[in-house]
Amino acid sequence: MSTTPDKLVERYLKHLEVELDDLPRDRRREIVDEIAGHIAEARAGLEHESEADVRNILEVLGDPADIAEEARERFEIRPPHPMQPFKPGWMEVAALVLLLVGAIVLPLFGWVIGVVLLWVSTAWNVRDKIIGTLFWPGGLGFSLFLLLFAASSSLSGSGGDACPVQPSTAPETDCVSSGGSSSSTNVLGIVLTTVVLVTPIITTAYLAYRLRRQPASAVA
Amino acid sequence: MLAQMRKGTLQYCVLALLADKERYGFDLVRSLAETDGMVTSEGTIYPLLSRLRRDGLVETTWRESTSGPPRRYYRLTKAGAAALAAFKGEWGPFRDAVDHFVERKS
Repeated sequence: MSTTPDKLVERYLKHLEVELDDLPRDRRREIVDEIAGHIAEARAGLEHESEADVRNILEVLGDPADIAEEARERFEIRPPHPMQPFKPGWMEVAALVLLLVGAIVLPLFGWVIGVVLLWVSTAWNVRDKIIGTLFWPGGLGFSLFLLLFAASSSLSGSGGDACPVQPSTAPETDCVSSGGSSSSTNVLGIVLTTVVLVTPIITTAYLAYRLRRQPASAVA
Repeated sequence: MLAQMRKGTLQYCVLALLADKERYGFDLVRSLAETDGMVTSEGTIYPLLSRLRRDGLVETTWRESTSGPPRRYYRLTKAGAAALAAFKGEWGPFRDAVDHFVERKS
């Protein structure tokens, strides 16, 4: 005959496993195994198994959601919170905006407020918060400031005794030693410009991404 | 209300069924379901059995079956027997008291 009864049982057990998701693993296993055994016993007792028989067995066992609710009650596990899907609030949005462009609107303070919000919010873990703070201090505002500073100093000539990105990057020998070949300085300039502009954007995108992922880690 | 009472007393019915002999899950569940009104969905017994096991009121052993895969048999522990005895001691008077009021002919 067809494999439909097997499929029904398989689907039922899978459904049950999903419903029992918030139980400790060994208890979930025990309950699913026992119910799988129960179904096998009931099916073995049938003379000629029909699809209707199997459907009846599953129906008498009950809705997996009911079994899961019973399990939560018996083990005093609180049901999944109805507000579970984490909705980023104004604080998370404000933190991201201020971290990225806050320093442009309100020099220094805009970014500092963003950092404060980042650390106050429960939406990110400590690692995310550290990343958000260190990459990139001042956000795009500071990047633009560095670029303007570099542009103006290179315009004012004297090739090289002003290091454009000194405050924020590892010491660049190229930068300090005056009069390296101008082409390598240009390449370096382009790379640094890109890094300086892209880093805060990547960090903001990463934090926004972590915000979307948050429900999963909040449950665990 | 009745659902809560059923839930509260179900575990003692399970312990009582295990008092005379050990049983495997399917057997236990079918015995409970034979009596109308005790179990609405059979599957809900298994979380209870798991809890009773973890509380040490029942213990389990796997035994080979002649008709299929091994079965997990449930057996009353000393603590389970004591819990059942304590419940019986209170249940009789309680049942009589409720009957006294709700069955009273006016």
